[in-house]
Amino acid sequence: MITKDKIDSFIEKIPPAPKALNETISLLNIGELTKAAKVAESDLALKSYLKSVVNKPIYGFRNEVSDISQIFGILGVSLSQQTVYNYMITLLSPKKWVLFKLNAKTFHEFQANLSKKWEIILKHLNIDDKNIYAAISLLPASIIVTEALFAEKIDDVNLLRSAKALDFNTILIRLCEVSLFDICEKIAKKWEMDENIAQIVQASSGVKPSNSEKINTLGKWMHLLLFYELSKPELVEAGLNDFLDFQIEYISDIYDEFASLMGVE
Amino acid sequence: MKAVVKNGIAVFSPQGFLDGNSQNAFMSTEDIEAATNLKADMILVSLKKVVFFNRNGLDIFIKLFLKIRKKNHITVGFCDYDSKKYDAIKRFFHDELNFSLFKTLDIAYLFSSSFKNQNKNILVYSSDKSQRSAIAIELHDGGHNPIIAQSEQEFNEKKEKKEAYDYIVDSTFLGQMGQKVATRVTGNAIIYTISSFLDVEISDKFNIEYHNNSLNVGFRLFIFDAYKVISMNVHALNFFSKLASSAAEYNANICFVGMKFDKTPEIFRETMEDAGILFYAQMDDILQNKELLKELGASSASNVKNKRALNKATVLELPKFIDATVITLEMMTNAKAVKEAVNVHNLIIEDKKGKIASSIGYYGDIDGMVILVFPQGIAKKACELLIGENTDDMELILDTLAELVNIVGGKIKTLLADELINVNITLPRTYQDVDSLLEVVENRKGVQVDLSFNDDKFLFFLTR
Repeated sequence: MITKDKIDSFIEKIPPAPKALNETISLLNIGELTKAAKVAESDLALKSYLKSVVNKPIYGFRNEVSDISQIFGILGVSLSQQTVYNYMITLLSPKKWVLFKLNAKTFHEFQANLSKKWEIILKHLNIDDKNIYAAISLLPASIIVTEALFAEKIDDVNLLRSAKALDFNTILIRLCEVSLFDICEKIAKKWEMDENIAQIVQASSGVKPSNSEKINTLGKWMHLLLFYELSKPELVEAGLNDFLDFQIEYISDIYDEFASLMGVE
Repeated sequence: MKAVVKNGIAVFSPQGFLDGNSQNAFMSTEDIEAATNLKADMILVSLKKVVFFNRNGLDIFIKLFLKIRKKNHITVGFCDYDSKKYDAIKRFFHDELNFSLFKTLDIAYLFSSSFKNQNKNILVYSSDKSQRSAIAIELHDGGHNPIIAQSEQEFNEKKEKKEAYDYIVDSTFLGQMGQKVATRVTGNAIIYTISSFLDVEISDKFNIEYHNNSLNVGFRLFIFDAYKVISMNVHALNFFSKLASSAAEYNANICFVGMKFDKTPEIFRETMEDAGILFYAQMDDILQNKELLKELGASSASNVKNKRALNKATVLELPKFIDATVITLEMMTNAKAVKEAVNVHNLIIEDKKGKIASSIGYYGDIDGMVILVFPQGIAKKACELLIGENTDDMELILDTLAELVNIVGGKIKTLLADELINVNITLPRTYQDVDSLLEVVENRKGVQVDLSFNDDKFLFFLTR
């Protein structure tokens, strides 16, 4: 159904990060917000993405924010970098979603919600590390990878899943000994993202805990946050609720804290 | 959201957070419609991967339960929860708890009417006395040995001795149970359990589709365990007479065991005998009598008189059947499946040792049966994607092979539908040795195709 060759060819086709983006990230890395904004201005698609994301209701700005340096200024270094990474991930997303009933709008909304809530979590955990902020950007890549690998096999997958409740990650691991998150890690490497980012996202799969307690804790919060978002009606309808197996035991020790932080009643 | 059906139980498995906002997304109107048409004895919602729910979040499932109860009269409810979730559900619905709650899916299987497990020692506890009794009665009816703990203290003491019990049932609540006639398979006979007053409702309670499927896949002996029948009326009599005539077309036999006629007119017995139904006093009169079993058709299919030949319609569609098998095997193993030889003859299996088989029937515009025979190791390889671990557990391998052949059946259905040929598929059946398979298909002509993937050979046989 899915072969290693197919996975390799998918990874090979991942384009290198555009020059302007690389430069923006490097400048953000050294805290040069104004210079970064100037470079970002030159990439019109990035500019329009930043504008559309920051003006979503979840960011809560009363007036439209349209100037990039203003956007970077409001977001600060960590969140600006995270948002640019979010944009990079969208470059991988398909023009037309087939396996999941998604479109650019719902996908961007999903990214924005994850980002905003990840920020709340990191503040709660007293973590101020821009790489950890950026880690959340890589998480939706797992959905894009699933779509890319399985879209053509939608009938086979449906047939298989009518006989046994297997999630996409398990199918991939059993067929090719590679997980969705291994592929995300490869994307992160190709785009020269910090190593920590890939490790946290691996831990967030819930099936490959890290040896580092700190990364594991972040992985748990990310895993639970992912399923919190995947329980939203539009994402359930998109068919995303069961694309991965929710590891309820894995997150049991942080659930109460998460629930009170997110106001789950 | 779609359910996965296995061994007669359909399970929905939502994940994450269930609240009033998301509930309708989990179950669309089409999903509810599809669920009411499922061929299952029980429909359950697993809460294993639900970390949070409130009453509103469960409402859509309650709506589903009501609809299914009304239409299909089968058992519905929730399963796979911890004590916190159990208490919450009981608190939310304490006045209107008309669905069931099974602590685990395995516990639910003990109550399903097509129960596979039998004769298990089961420790039962519920703080509600009437529930304790209801659970024990249901389990006893299902052929198990329930042991009731009368108090929590007794339960805690008893459950310490884990080895004494096959299952421990607690935090379980039986709402309205399904009224389907319980079915079990013993060897090559199918036993239906009927009880109390039999009237016009028997046609709703009896799973006629399952019965017809069983005839299609080669069962020839059907026994009605009627020890607990008090009486029957003329509608039930008609039902059984019709059942007997349709069985006669397949040269199958229907027997009643333990039926008393003190409250049922004796003339009913004569009518039923005229229709071809046989009466025996004890179950063992049949099951322990090998000669009789053979005569009744349970131990060999060689006495099937109406052997049906392969017809043109089936042969014309042969490539579809082979394709379905090849595509499924390729999907499951990522290896290229190759067709090696095609012959029309009786099923020939040269080396019977260590081989297992699985079959699935189809009926509708055309009918027949597909059989796959694998060496055990190869079956394991073919099922690797479904099993996911290295195992020598024969029961698990056979179970998985049934899932595999079910997928083949599903593919056959889709491929034939492309040609506007509509078929339904039966439940899969597995055989842990070749001899038990040959009992069903011996002397039946069919198309035998030798197939291989990664040089691992297996056999495909299509017959009617």
